[in-house]
Amino acid sequence: MVKTDKNIIRGFLVFSYVVIISMLIFLISSSFSYLNTGADRSKLLHTEVKKAENYSPKIVWVEDGNEGRNVDEQTLIKIENDYLDAWYVRNVAYKTNQTVGIADYYTDNARKNIAEFVAQNKKQQISVEATTLSHQPNIEFFSEDGQLVVLSDKNVVEYKKLFKDGKFVMETTETANYKIILLLEDGFWRIRHLVKETIADFDKTIQNKSFANLNIKGINYYPQATPWDMFGDQFDIKIIENDFSIMKDAGLNTIRIFIQYDDFGKAEVKEEKLQKLQQVLDAAETKKLKAVVTLFDFYGNYEVLDWTLTHRHAETIVSRFKNHNAILAWDIKNEPNLDFESRGKQTVLAWLDHILLVVKSIDTKHLVTIGWSNTESAHLLKDKLDFVSFHYYEDRANFEQSYLDLKAKIPNKQIVLGEFGESSYGGFWKPFVGSEQKQAAYFKEMQQVLAAQNISFMSWTLYDFEDIPASVVGSRPWRTNPQKKFGFIDKDGNRKLAFEFAVE
Amino acid sequence: MMNLKYIAVLCSFFFFASSAKELSAQTNEAIQLEISEREFTAGEPIVLKFSGTQNTSILLYCANSYGSTLITPKVENNQLHYTIPTQIATKIGAVNWKLVTENNSLSGTFTVLAQAKPVSMETYVGPPSIAAGGNDYTMLVVIPTDKLGNPLKSTTEVTVKHQFLANETNETVFTKNLIAYQNIYSPIESGRMLLSTECLGLNSKEYTVHVLPAVSTNFEIFAKRSHEYADGNQITTFTTSVLKDEHNNIVSDGSFVTFYITNSDGNLLKTSGMTIKGVATAKMMHPDHSATWSVKASVTGISESNTISLTYKKVMDDFTVAFSENNRNISVGPLKSFMNQLIPDGLQVKLIIYQNKKIIKEYSKESREGSVNFELNSNIFGNGNYDFEITTAGITKTFQGKKLW
Repeated sequence: MVKTDKNIIRGFLVFSYVVIISMLIFLISSSFSYLNTGADRSKLLHTEVKKAENYSPKIVWVEDGNEGRNVDEQTLIKIENDYLDAWYVRNVAYKTNQTVGIADYYTDNARKNIAEFVAQNKKQQISVEATTLSHQPNIEFFSEDGQLVVLSDKNVVEYKKLFKDGKFVMETTETANYKIILLLEDGFWRIRHLVKETIADFDKTIQNKSFANLNIKGINYYPQATPWDMFGDQFDIKIIENDFSIMKDAGLNTIRIFIQYDDFGKAEVKEEKLQKLQQVLDAAETKKLKAVVTLFDFYGNYEVLDWTLTHRHAETIVSRFKNHNAILAWDIKNEPNLDFESRGKQTVLAWLDHILLVVKSIDTKHLVTIGWSNTESAHLLKDKLDFVSFHYYEDRANFEQSYLDLKAKIPNKQIVLGEFGESSYGGFWKPFVGSEQKQAAYFKEMQQVLAAQNISFMSWTLYDFEDIPASVVGSRPWRTNPQKKFGFIDKDGNRKLAFEFAVE
Repeated sequence: MMNLKYIAVLCSFFFFASSAKELSAQTNEAIQLEISEREFTAGEPIVLKFSGTQNTSILLYCANSYGSTLITPKVENNQLHYTIPTQIATKIGAVNWKLVTENNSLSGTFTVLAQAKPVSMETYVGPPSIAAGGNDYTMLVVIPTDKLGNPLKSTTEVTVKHQFLANETNETVFTKNLIAYQNIYSPIESGRMLLSTECLGLNSKEYTVHVLPAVSTNFEIFAKRSHEYADGNQITTFTTSVLKDEHNNIVSDGSFVTFYITNSDGNLLKTSGMTIKGVATAKMMHPDHSATWSVKASVTGISESNTISLTYKKVMDDFTVAFSENNRNISVGPLKSFMNQLIPDGLQVKLIIYQNKKIIKEYSKESREGSVNFELNSNIFGNGNYDFEITTAGITKTFQGKKLW
């Protein structure tokens, strides 16, 4: 008994010793690390680069010389940066009705004008979301001492959306010519005078292409191992080429692939990703498959101040591949109507409207469409698209009627069924709902309708997937599990019953 | 009366019928702009009047160079009156407006022009100093602005006046791209130039531009020394002639002149000075052995001098060396200068000790009261035969096979 007590006391002593020592070490180390924080010598000079790309309208300098001193490259870059920042901070100021940052980019006298607008709009609860989409600046004059520059900025396309009392009032896209005087103060090129010389409504008319019957027998494609991450680290062109052979042999002629906005690097598109896309498109061309390339997958911001970044994203990708023979069409965005509720229908449509202009202005060869998620939204922006595409996951019995209704609404455009399919999942979370037989029956019936109505189609999808990223359908098992089983080929590489109905 | 009521009812019907999310008002009848002016002067009140409706829920969108806003109307004389806010009415440039109705059918633009009279002259002069001679120039930029800070209309006449010594000049320039500018070339002479501008009777304040002498042209150098002996003690002073630019302006004080001295061995010595009233002075100590210097000066990258040659005579022909204390004490001296006076302290004497043709040790000492003593420690230099070489004032004496014990 005594021995046990002794052991308990011993144990307690040892334990408390360990605790006290570890507390001491923790205290000393945390006070030591606290004393090491604060003034970091490397931060004393503010040498770190903080610049992030947040405003990138299309800039085309008119280089026709100027009066006064010659402008060197470095100065031109600095002027461009500060001039665009001036537009950016002004747009932010009118959006938030606060004048943060204005002082850096406008001289004392010029900033008064902005402050007056902000004060008035704030008082009347007006806010303006605006962005400029393109500039054609030209240095007209540069003073001998390098302190003053006169710019003219032609064809400034500006989109504005006005709100009063938090409610949308109107939107407008305008084209204006400006003359600007900038002064070099405190290392900033600041706007001293800003004069809008002419103003007109922006012409948004789009030329649509005429083309023969599409006759798409297609499929939405992701490699089996990397769904929703086709161009990631596990990219393997061998696997993709092999899949292309499978699809070609099955009688398909088109694939629909997806380009994730973040994954491709947002406004500054990564070269490595473009090269992977190049390989995929080259492989498709070799296999005589056409590709519908869906842009802006997983993009959901749509905010006016984010537009210029998305425009540069689209510009980089589209201009790189505008002559690629494998491309059939650019699908601007997958199912944008699903964002109507969270982002506002007007916001989404305005973004689509302008991004369409960007894509169409660069690529005059390939077709352009938007992959609407249902027949109800499919008529939106129809006049600006080369063909209409929609997705159908509802009751197959109503498909033919839904299609005919849509056809009646859009009589003079080809309509493509961009996605359709059925899961063969009938497991724990949805017992007896689906099976391979049911899936095969679904495709058989759908193919009959598609053949009867001569509808171009792209089914969902080639493979069953093992993992579905949470960003696709969330992480609830009764959602992810059925999503895994939409393929024509199961996870072990065996053809499911539906495979023979991939094409009628 | 009946008609009015009908319109009111219809208007309100359409208003409520329009989407709750949108504030745009529905109008059915022809709304017309009742004013015809398309140009206004900055500062004058601008009111856009529309007939055909009294629906005060119709907003007017209006935007100028700096920003955009929405304007709420007032009803006066059965018309909608939209008072353009001051920040738009006071700034020049194109202004566009749109009535926010269902189809935005009514829109237009007008222009706000600057007031006729300037009240201030924003003037920028730079660079503030230029080089004389007529090649360099400064630039004067003027932005004549009206009471509200707007640049005046283009092709406004601006007189640029400048004065230099007896010359007073007036030149006329015109505004273009919001500004007027003039290049002002430097006169031949250096001095101060005063500038001012005038626009429509308004005069600016005075601006000063310094006209500095241009860069120097080639010049001459001179040397001055108290004697021509290489005593390693006295100092030779180099001076330049007065440095002038090509128009005879004395260069600015502080112009940096470097003197390059090449001695007989081909080594380069450098000394420098800055000009005061055009003359730069630099100094160099005499060599301690006979030498011929060739000296040339330059203002780097700008101008250079002639080359002068200086010869320094040796101060002694020979010196005595005495060995004592088992040859372990070597006494050099007395070292005598050109008048047989003891040479001033500090003359370097160098002793090199060889054994079997190999250098064992080198000593260097400075003279004191005309002589130098070397002690050879027996712990370092064991007994044996050594060769000694003693050099001072450019004279070398060797002693072969001296025995130490």
